[in-house]
Amino acid sequence: MSDMHKLHNTKPGRVFDLINVIFLAVAAIVTLLPFIYVVAGSFATESELARRAFFIIPETFTLEAYRYIFTSEAFIRSIVITIGVTAVGTAVQLFFTFTMAYPLAKRALRGRKLLINIVIFAMLFSGGMIPTFLVVQGLGLIDTYWALILPNAINPFNLIIIKNFFQNFSVELEESAKIDGASEIGIFWRIVLPLSKPIIATFALFYAVAIWNDFMSPLLYLNDSSKWTLQLLLRQVTISSDPNALGNLDPDYVPPAEGMKLAIIVIATLPIMMVYPFLQKHFAKGLLIGSVKG
Amino acid sequence: MKALLLQKANKQLPRKTFVEIVKQMWLRDKWLYVLLIPGVLYFLVFRYAPMYGIIIAFKNYVPYLGITESSWVGLDHFTAFFSSPDFLRLLGNTLWISFLSIAIAFPAPIFLAILLNEVRFALYKKFVQTCIYIPHFLSWTIVVGLTHLLFSINGGVIVEMVETIFGIRINFLAEPEWFRPMIILQGIWKGTGWGTIIFLAALANVSSEQYEAAIVDGAGRFRRIWHITLPAIRGTVVIMLILTMGNVLSTGFDQIFLMTNSLNRSVADVFDTYVYNVGITRGSYSYSTAVGLFKSIVGIILILTTDFIAKKVDKESGLF
Amino acid sequence: MGSFGKRELLVISVLLMLMIVIGCSNDPASGEDKPDGNNDTDNVVYFDEIKIMAPTFETTAPPADNEWEQATEELTGKKVNMNWVPNVSYEDRMNVTLASNDIPEVMVITGKTPGFLNSAEAGAFWELTDYLDDYQYLGQYNEDILRNASVNGRVYGIYRERDVMRSTAIIRKDWLEHLGLDVPESVDELYDVLHAFTFDDPNNTGADDTHGLIIPTWYGSLDTLSIWFGAPNVWGVEDGTFVPAFETEAYREALDWTKHIVDQGLVNPDFTTLSPDDWNNAMFNGAGGVIIDTYSRAMQVNNLFVDEAGSDDSDQYYVEITGTLRAPNGEEYGHPTDGYAGFLAIPKTSVQTEEELHEILSFLDVLCSPEGINLLNHGIEGVNYQLDDEGYLVPLETEEAQALNPYTMEQISMFGDGMHRMKAEGELPQKRYQLMEDNGNYAVFNEAAPLVSEVYSTRGTQLDDIIEDARVQYIAGQIDESGWEAAVELWYSSGGQELVDELTQLYDEMN
Repeated sequence: MSDMHKLHNTKPGRVFDLINVIFLAVAAIVTLLPFIYVVAGSFATESELARRAFFIIPETFTLEAYRYIFTSEAFIRSIVITIGVTAVGTAVQLFFTFTMAYPLAKRALRGRKLLINIVIFAMLFSGGMIPTFLVVQGLGLIDTYWALILPNAINPFNLIIIKNFFQNFSVELEESAKIDGASEIGIFWRIVLPLSKPIIATFALFYAVAIWNDFMSPLLYLNDSSKWTLQLLLRQVTISSDPNALGNLDPDYVPPAEGMKLAIIVIATLPIMMVYPFLQKHFAKGLLIGSVKG
Repeated sequence: MKALLLQKANKQLPRKTFVEIVKQMWLRDKWLYVLLIPGVLYFLVFRYAPMYGIIIAFKNYVPYLGITESSWVGLDHFTAFFSSPDFLRLLGNTLWISFLSIAIAFPAPIFLAILLNEVRFALYKKFVQTCIYIPHFLSWTIVVGLTHLLFSINGGVIVEMVETIFGIRINFLAEPEWFRPMIILQGIWKGTGWGTIIFLAALANVSSEQYEAAIVDGAGRFRRIWHITLPAIRGTVVIMLILTMGNVLSTGFDQIFLMTNSLNRSVADVFDTYVYNVGITRGSYSYSTAVGLFKSIVGIILILTTDFIAKKVDKESGLF
Repeated sequence: MGSFGKRELLVISVLLMLMIVIGCSNDPASGEDKPDGNNDTDNVVYFDEIKIMAPTFETTAPPADNEWEQATEELTGKKVNMNWVPNVSYEDRMNVTLASNDIPEVMVITGKTPGFLNSAEAGAFWELTDYLDDYQYLGQYNEDILRNASVNGRVYGIYRERDVMRSTAIIRKDWLEHLGLDVPESVDELYDVLHAFTFDDPNNTGADDTHGLIIPTWYGSLDTLSIWFGAPNVWGVEDGTFVPAFETEAYREALDWTKHIVDQGLVNPDFTTLSPDDWNNAMFNGAGGVIIDTYSRAMQVNNLFVDEAGSDDSDQYYVEITGTLRAPNGEEYGHPTDGYAGFLAIPKTSVQTEEELHEILSFLDVLCSPEGINLLNHGIEGVNYQLDDEGYLVPLETEEAQALNPYTMEQISMFGDGMHRMKAEGELPQKRYQLMEDNGNYAVFNEAAPLVSEVYSTRGTQLDDIIEDARVQYIAGQIDESGWEAAVELWYSSGGQELVDELTQLYDEMN
């Protein structure tokens, strides 16, 4: 491949490459800097945070906030819970979504259009918070981690996109497998899924991030505070700047230290941000889809 | 292809009884139907069972009384909404922001994904990808805080820069004409990197052989993008566009609420902030449900219309 | 292809109807069965355990059966089951709880929110107006506050008392000292301070880089100023008719005064966009030298200076507080709060009979006793705190105390006499207590505090925005006097007149 590129490394091509690399570098810096500030701020003292508007290296370095977080049993517990629910939840939601998306991609399947319409309808119309709560309660899911997973098991938006990916799947490949005597489930499991790694990786990321960032489900469905997730803790410390809490604050409320807020933001975002770099290796491996289209 | 032919053949056969059709469906596709079971159950239990809640749009819902006991008010909430003196202004503001974000913020990730796809050093590509998706994880409160830092009339870096270069001092945060550009700009900064992921996944399916073959044929960079990269993501772009149309009347709440102030409110008020003010802070679930229902109906009409147009242009694209 | 066919519509509507049927059966049955066997005997215990729903501000919600909770159980003789809810979306959670079939016996209500009002009107909570007087401690309520916390005179909850006098000007002490200025006592003197802070280089940099007053996009400062000038607190009553504050002479005077200081450059130029989150920092960084807000903010700003100085001398302080400032006419008017922050309400679904209510009220009565109120607010004597010889409270700093502190029960504390006070350590807190006491005599209360208006609950936000926006635009010089008049006109025609009429009528009915 490199030979090919060398062969055609024309002058305008190189100029393009250079501009592209510089443009992307600027984009990377512009998006990275604010987060570096958040991280730096979490190690800074209160007066420094108040005095300096923006910095990437704190003058005085303090571990106060992290010491508090990592000696608090509740914090450690909620980190473990959040990671656990996210891992199990992502697997469950991927299962629900992919098993439904695959048959819906089969244009010859009877009832397919009806089901797609049902999905689209559900994407736009919902019964609202309280009726959903009553269903979850009726199923006995209150105070269980399933309440954070099952009510969002399929995101209709994701389902439609995955279905469309499958629609572009090589028909010949599946047909030949069928002739070899494989059942539809066999084809799905042994041929389609292994070739869909980029898509699985993408939607694993989407679902994982959604579960990780979910705030409403734990708020509504968990009474037992020993089951709280990180997002609840995060909202608790950033409450004074939460638009939903405006005018609703007890006048005696004393906001937590700024450094503490930033440290909790770091703890609550860093683990989930690490997921993408790990998934990236799967993005280059699906090769066959798209080679045959339609 | 075979499957399509089969379907056509089915249609030409003489009418069968219902039982026969079901039997035939089952025999041919039973495993596909088995695969559908968990998903269909999910939609029935968690999506459709609660949908009776929509009727509170026509009632005066009090949680304590429950839906059955709450009194009917018919279309009162809808008339109150449509006849509100602010309705047209809200609609205008909402559509403006949606239009701008579909025209500018929607193509941004496609553009960026193509640029990333052209990067040859895998490590650099990964690094950039990881950086640009970070803003997705920062809350609007933080994003708006940073915006204030940069654009404050009282010492904001960008205000000072603009003054040095153009000689004018612009209060970006307060002047109504700057409200929409600021919202779009923030949206691009926060969402573009995240948005590229789906397109990069689509591009992962393009084999490097295709590019190599094109190079052998003497295709230049832009022809390769035009003939290989773009077709590879076209289906995804179309489906994303269709689904985005469903949210035309939803601009999100937090960002706009946080960016609104007394000087720019005339252009900043949108349905979502209005519903918050009237519906949620005023505790009226019924009212917010009514507005939500209106938004959903408009959304589904727009989705189906866009889908229809997409199909006219390319038979293979679209929702179905 | 891409549209709903008849078949799809049919199936969806059948599904919907099915769901309505299922859904309705899901609705909570009104009234659970209560194990209340023999009703007639006196010593019947209706509740083995009292379930209380309350908000928490802590990042780590108190675990069940912690020592603080156990001490509360010991004091009241009742098992307590706390349901702590993160404060952020407490309102949502409250509504969901009321809609469910699992309702606690006592619910903290954070304010007269519409969700609460709707439910209260539908009969969700006991009306306590005629019951409180029967109890030793609950009967010792403050009548004004009880009235403020009521719904048009009907009491649906036992209020959680808060300080009444909170408003003050907060001034950088170092700047005052540098310029040789005294702490202002009137609005006119404040003007001189603002002027000097802007033009006389209070930070000694030689540059023109400071302003006097800092105003963020939360305009409470302007409300306080207008009251200091003698305007009513939101609503006044003249000849039996309600008058909105902005229609009074004093309000206009305050408005013009503010416009004047803005025009002169005595206010931060970004007052139309400065986030309240950056308010303290703006003062700490020297963007301005005066804030008009609460004593709590004064303490927060002071703490920033303390943190930087690294000094632990409690007499050393960095901001001056003024309390109420006298109006230009020499009179003194104070800006009070409504005196409460939410209340504890008792749902009728879980507490069904008067006998049951009596049991719950007796429980709450104990919490309002001196022992109760001290336990809820300060914790366990000997663990969280000690009393010194003069009876002042001294917090303990043992590991045990620090572990227990975040489990505070203060969210369910109502009111009561006999609360231990900390000896005011340091000059600033002492000054604060003195000012709070002195200013109390001049408080101007909001006449409409107890009134709950229909018009306001549907159109209140828009009405408030009209005046708020016009006020800021007027001060910023974007509209002139006729623009202001037009906004007031718009306010009346958008529902303001109906609001005035309704409040006047409600007021008559209540008195």
